[in-house]
Amino acid sequence: MPGLSRRHFLQTVAGLGAATLSGCQGLPRLASSKAHVVVVGGGFGGATAAKTMRLLDPTIQVTLIEPKARYITCPGSNWLFAGLTDLDKLTVDYQALQARYGVKLLADSVADLDAVKRQVRLTGGQTIGYDRLIMSPGIDFKWDAIAGYDKAAAQQFPHAWQAGPQTLLLAKQLQSMRDGGVLIMTVPADPYRCPPGPYERASMMAYWLKQHNPRAKIIILDAKRSFSKQALFEAGWTKHYGYGSSNSLIEWHSLADNPLLELDKKNQQLISEFGDRFQGDVLNIIPPQTAASIALQSGLADAGGWCPVQPLSGQSLFDEYIHIIGDAAHYAPIPKSAFAANSEAKACALAVINLLNQKPLAEPHWLNTCYSLITPQHGVSVAGVYRLDAAQTIVAVKGAGGVSIASGAETELLEADYTRVVYQQLVANSFA
Amino acid sequence: MRLVFFVAMLFVSLFVPVIGAELDAASIALNCLTCHNDTGKTSAIPPLNKLSALQMQQTLLDFKYDKKPATLMRRLAKGYSDAELAALAEYLSRR
Ligand SMILES: Cc1cc2nc3c(=O)[nH]c(=O)nc-3n(C[C@H](O)[C@H](O)[C@H](O)COP(=O)(O)OP(=O)(O)OC[C@H]3O[C@@H](n4cnc5c(N)ncnc54)[C@H](O)[C@@H]3O)c2cc1C
Ligand code: HEC
Repeated sequence: MPGLSRRHFLQTVAGLGAATLSGCQGLPRLASSKAHVVVVGGGFGGATAAKTMRLLDPTIQVTLIEPKARYITCPGSNWLFAGLTDLDKLTVDYQALQARYGVKLLADSVADLDAVKRQVRLTGGQTIGYDRLIMSPGIDFKWDAIAGYDKAAAQQFPHAWQAGPQTLLLAKQLQSMRDGGVLIMTVPADPYRCPPGPYERASMMAYWLKQHNPRAKIIILDAKRSFSKQALFEAGWTKHYGYGSSNSLIEWHSLADNPLLELDKKNQQLISEFGDRFQGDVLNIIPPQTAASIALQSGLADAGGWCPVQPLSGQSLFDEYIHIIGDAAHYAPIPKSAFAANSEAKACALAVINLLNQKPLAEPHWLNTCYSLITPQHGVSVAGVYRLDAAQTIVAVKGAGGVSIASGAETELLEADYTRVVYQQLVANSFA
Repeated sequence: MRLVFFVAMLFVSLFVPVIGAELDAASIALNCLTCHNDTGKTSAIPPLNKLSALQMQQTLLDFKYDKKPATLMRRLAKGYSDAELAALAEYLSRR
């Protein structure tokens, strides 16, 4: 980790007070020098966990299992709709994790887990044993939520909620929309990946339309009654996109009492419970989500579709040798963001190191910031500082965090710059 | 797969809050360094290896008590006690 001296950190860890309890009471004793940690998923959570483990305790062997050779970040992908970036700029690989930190990479995916034998079986047939498993597999979609919207339909009506070809498809549809056309974006109820993401996307699309198709309209149909950074987004939309006026580029409607139930593909219409039909030239359907299928099929999720964990260590409530971080896990009130996944990975890596070294668990500290662009010169942010309360539940520290403090062109421009810089720093901190 | 149900009590006994401020500072600092990467690459976010421990402590307290303008740091510094900020400054300046 740039700037963090490993030697110093280890001295610190070794200098722990002797009055503390063993972190491994009742668990099999394992010399950390022989310990093997397997990380599933090379997104922000998994990459950060693998890197942090190796950086802070290089005696632990770390294997990262990720099927893709290159990872395209969702953060930054909304900027593509404004023509500010391209997929190349959003792509990272796993070279640094291997070369700099000695993470062993396996380009495969986990087909299933054997929790009793503590093994993962890969799609390629290989079986790998672990002392501890860290899972950061991200999300999957609830394809049944809007009838008619399935994997095949997403080829015509993209969600673009996993960056890559879906992002390009949606950008192409936006750009080739007829003059004065309507783009409908549907937003699911909480919790979902990146709470402010849809509104940043609408902003970036409006930025493009304002220049190329100013009579067009983006209509957001939201399953929620309110949304992240709402006051900041609405003020920005009013300032830049005529929000609230009859020719606004963006309209936002809450459908909290009248949910969307069905997609009529032929007529490009979304049908609500009360029978309202919303027709669009382009439909960007962001479906409700769950933890990735590997987590569901391994029995690690609850009825809500997310994986409950012991926040102190990230251990699954269903299996003490499996730690789950990132979007797949339930860390509420921490939102599902890449910044949060990075922070959860660090707290989890520290806990895993302590468990493997039979050291007591330290108090975890989490941080989240989510920056969004409203225009290339207007950035807004929300932040949170999180820790455990006496009842071991995660709380946002009162009085800390919150949305951008001041408004005004100067702050907006500074925060737009920070949006880009924090993105770069977060990617470097996680993958390089 | 076999579901090994957790004995929540086990964890209550494992979490020992009486931990050196030092270790706390190290674990908080991991999150600060996500943005403050002072490898020398130029970035709009100031590096943290320029300030002495005392200067950094004062800066963090000034953020916390709204004495120093900032877009973000006022919101973050309020998340920590004065003692934590002092330990953090000490830790970060000694890296
Ligand atoms: C449009 C958009 C904009 C966003 N903007 C921001 C932003 O500005 N800031 C921010 O902080 N967050 C942002 N996010 C949220 C961010 O993308 C996620 O929170 C983050 O990616 C979560 O990381 P993760 O490690 O949990 O999952 P992911 O990044 O999804 O990584 C999961 C990885 O696991 C792998 N995997 C899945 N199943 C298996 C298996 N069985 N075996 C092996 N590997 C497997 C996948 O291939 C994938 O690479 C945005 C999201 C979207 C959609
Ligand atoms: C999301 C990115 C981000 C994170 C995380 C972050 N900072 Fe900052 N930091 C900034 C920015 C941006 C500034 C410039 C002031 C402002 O606008 O808030 C700054 C300024 C500072 C300064 C002033 C430096 C100087 O020379 O003026 C200090 C000290 C500092 N941060 C310490 C910390 C500490 C300690 C943490 C962890 C608790 C932290 N920062 C976490 C972005 C971040």
